[in-house]
Amino acid sequence: MRSRLYPVFKYTMIALWACFVAGPFFWAMTTSFKDVNGVQGGATYLPWLQYEPTVVGWRNIFGGAGGVDVMRPFFNSAVVTVAASAVSLVLGSLAAYALSRYRFKLGFIKNSDIVFFFVSQRIMPPVVLVIPFFYLLQWTGLLDTVLGLVIVTVALLLPIAVWVMVDFFNGIPREIDEMAMLDGCGPFQTFVRAILPNSLPGLTVAAMFCVVFGWNDFFFAFRLTFTEVQTLPQAVVALNSSIPPWWTLSAAALFGVAPLILLALRVERYLSKGNLSGAVR
Amino acid sequence: MNLSATDLCLTVDGVDHLKDVSATFVPGRLHAVIGRTMAGKTTLLRVLAGLQGVDSGALTRQGADFLKTPVWRRDTAMVYQQFINYPHLDVFDNVAFPLKRAGLARDEIRRRVTDSLARVGLADFERRKPSQLSGGQQQRVALARALARGTGILLLDEPLANLDYKLREQLRDEFRTLFSDQGDTVVIYTTTEPAEAMMLGDVVLVMHEGRILQTGSPQEVFERPATTTVASIINDPPMNIFTGRIGSGQVTVAGFQATHVSAHLADLPDGTYRFGLRATDVGLASAGVEGEVTFVEISGSETFVHVAVGETPFVVQIEGIHDVALGDLVKLRLRPERLFAFDEEGTLQRTPSYDLTSVEGR
Amino acid sequence: MEALRRHKSMFLLPGLLTLALIIIFPLLFTIRVSFSGWNVSNPQLDFIGGANYTAMLHDSRFWASITRLVLLAGGTVLIQYVIGFGMALLVWREARGRRLWRVLFLVPMMTTPVVMAAIWQMIFHESLGPVNDLLGMLGLTKVPWLTESGPALVALMTVEVWQWTPFMFLLLLAGLLSLPKEPFMAAAIDGAGAWRTFRKVTFPLMAPVSVAAIIIRLIEASKLSDSVYVLTSGGPGSATETPGYYLYIQGLRDQQTGYSGAMSLTYLVLMIVTLTVVAALLARAFKLKGAS
Repeated sequence: MRSRLYPVFKYTMIALWACFVAGPFFWAMTTSFKDVNGVQGGATYLPWLQYEPTVVGWRNIFGGAGGVDVMRPFFNSAVVTVAASAVSLVLGSLAAYALSRYRFKLGFIKNSDIVFFFVSQRIMPPVVLVIPFFYLLQWTGLLDTVLGLVIVTVALLLPIAVWVMVDFFNGIPREIDEMAMLDGCGPFQTFVRAILPNSLPGLTVAAMFCVVFGWNDFFFAFRLTFTEVQTLPQAVVALNSSIPPWWTLSAAALFGVAPLILLALRVERYLSKGNLSGAVR
Repeated sequence: MNLSATDLCLTVDGVDHLKDVSATFVPGRLHAVIGRTMAGKTTLLRVLAGLQGVDSGALTRQGADFLKTPVWRRDTAMVYQQFINYPHLDVFDNVAFPLKRAGLARDEIRRRVTDSLARVGLADFERRKPSQLSGGQQQRVALARALARGTGILLLDEPLANLDYKLREQLRDEFRTLFSDQGDTVVIYTTTEPAEAMMLGDVVLVMHEGRILQTGSPQEVFERPATTTVASIINDPPMNIFTGRIGSGQVTVAGFQATHVSAHLADLPDGTYRFGLRATDVGLASAGVEGEVTFVEISGSETFVHVAVGETPFVVQIEGIHDVALGDLVKLRLRPERLFAFDEEGTLQRTPSYDLTSVEGR
Repeated sequence: MEALRRHKSMFLLPGLLTLALIIIFPLLFTIRVSFSGWNVSNPQLDFIGGANYTAMLHDSRFWASITRLVLLAGGTVLIQYVIGFGMALLVWREARGRRLWRVLFLVPMMTTPVVMAAIWQMIFHESLGPVNDLLGMLGLTKVPWLTESGPALVALMTVEVWQWTPFMFLLLLAGLLSLPKEPFMAAAIDGAGAWRTFRKVTFPLMAPVSVAAIIIRLIEASKLSDSVYVLTSGGPGSATETPGYYLYIQGLRDQQTGYSGAMSLTYLVLMIVTLTVVAALLARAFKLKGAS
């Protein structure tokens, strides 16, 4: 560590990796301001120097003539993500609290087995689930509806919520529960008034994972919704499959990932704060 | 209004946490439960609070089955050994929490919170979070919350154990006034410290390995410990307990002529006994029971000399700071008039003479 | 205590039943359908015994995709672990602008894989993309990234590494930040150098986190199919096809429902068995290293 070359090596590695990480965003950003002239002649990077920037791509996605609408898919994605995350957080927190605080025993099944059941659902490949879901939603008339998509998305998110929250609740002293009960709270009041308010860091992390995996889901939306309910990833991929109007695709892609990048900026502050306070101790 | 426990038993993984615990807790009195760590004190409090079930036994309050009453309807407050408060609430809201749950009016809540924070000396800390307070202050918040409700039962589980020495003494003194007017509240206070139990308790219960060994007034328990175990628990340093013989007017310990038989032991038949003697009643002398110094503790103005007589350990408490080296051979002088005599099973036979009259009636 | 016992199920059951209901139907359906000849021209639940499974045994395209997935998942997760651990170590303690790096290094995992795959498809474009442009500037020949099997696999792995190294980074950084300080002080007092400290202190202490992070990533990687769909559509030919993508073709595009059901179950069971074995092996391997 004391070698003089070490800082050089360190910041070179960081810089290289940072370039790799940022590269696709840079490419999408610069491409979104091109038109056919900026794309056809080969790769170009710098506006004004190498190509004449236009906003045609951005105009296309916000309802310009001959463009595609991203606002409705955006809205659909938002509704599905928020609804499925909310349901998963509520059901997941309740279940995680039960698994953290009470002992269950049903034959050979114990708490850890129930936790494993929840978490193990993450191993389920979406493609295995999607065909049965297709028929299930068809029979129940929920195919191509927001509600149908929310229900199947809960299956993706609930395990994550349980996984994060069991761990978090285990870190809250049981004495807090006991004290709340002594102070006159029934079990449910105890959870709502004493435990939940102290679980904000855990809930934030769980919510972040739920929103990320909910927003980024493509496969379920792709096979279970079509015309009525198109989500944002679907809309972007649809652009990709036609003859590439790269500028529109880039603009739509950036628009599609922007909400979560903003979320990352906000949540990282929260994450590292919690981590650091735990580390400094 | 009494809280009565009858034959409470609880065994966890083959270990008795509570064994035939029977006791009656009376409103308006402070019951000090003393015992070493793992004696079952905390378990007893948790059972009384409803946080822990039992295998068998009964618990009644005002004649009703208390075991069936859920925690949140037991009208009980508890102060933990660890300073437990709601981390998300400030001091005021921490104290107000149970009052809000009880549905009191806003003005009444404000009045009670202000009042009880003043009683514990935290009037100016209303808007601080528990994490911004020192350990002692956090424990005061917990205490204020417990006091503000005016519950029928108040449980304190070694509330001073995690505080430093000075703070402990200070809070202990404050407790005396805080608990002096508890009206019709049953107060139960656990501790490992004899001084705390003696100072605060109206009634002292001595617990050991899940059992209640003795119940009585502080004076009674201190001066008339029912067994050698009680005698050892109720004294700090623990009472010296050793085997000896009475014969020909002499007490013999480990082959040494220790002392003559004083008047209060005179009517005991000759034979083998267990004797108890407080550390203050043993001295170093030029003649007496011989032993080897194993450990020397100097604490403030006193010196504790640990001496091994054969297999039996003794603690000698002497005033002032004394220069005694490890491995020294010393002779112990035992004050004959202060000997407690127990039979070989450890049951009390005779207590030192000065209090004979006061306890003989029991 | 009685009252508590009654309440505990009310906390657990809503979540447990919801998940069970959502999961059990698809499983039962898949098991049943895998013994039927359900396909596009014969959409019904008849019973044809194990014919689908027999056919599957001879489906070399399926088995090739399984092998490919194992190599892809193992390879990318290993690379992710090495880079993620390395980057976490670099920005763990003192580093200029470490907040900025931490945020930046997390961003890819927050982005939608299919959307980013679409961007990567532009980047790997043979004549118009920047990768070949940069190679050209360095005087190297252009690579047909998405139309030749070797380069296509490299491209796919690059995308996976880009997307998911941040997840490794996040877990390992969190692990590093929660390590106790004392062993490091002890190592410093003993005069241990950087490499020795890493080998004897950091790495053994990080073993549990490492195993957990690798397992989590392997689980997620075993489902790989979205980015394949967008980036290469399994091509050229079936050179980048994963079981997830092949199942999509058989079950959804060609609607060989019964046959794809049999493959789905086989795929699921194989993944569960493999991951369990790998988890046990990893736990053992890391424990051995930690002890030495």
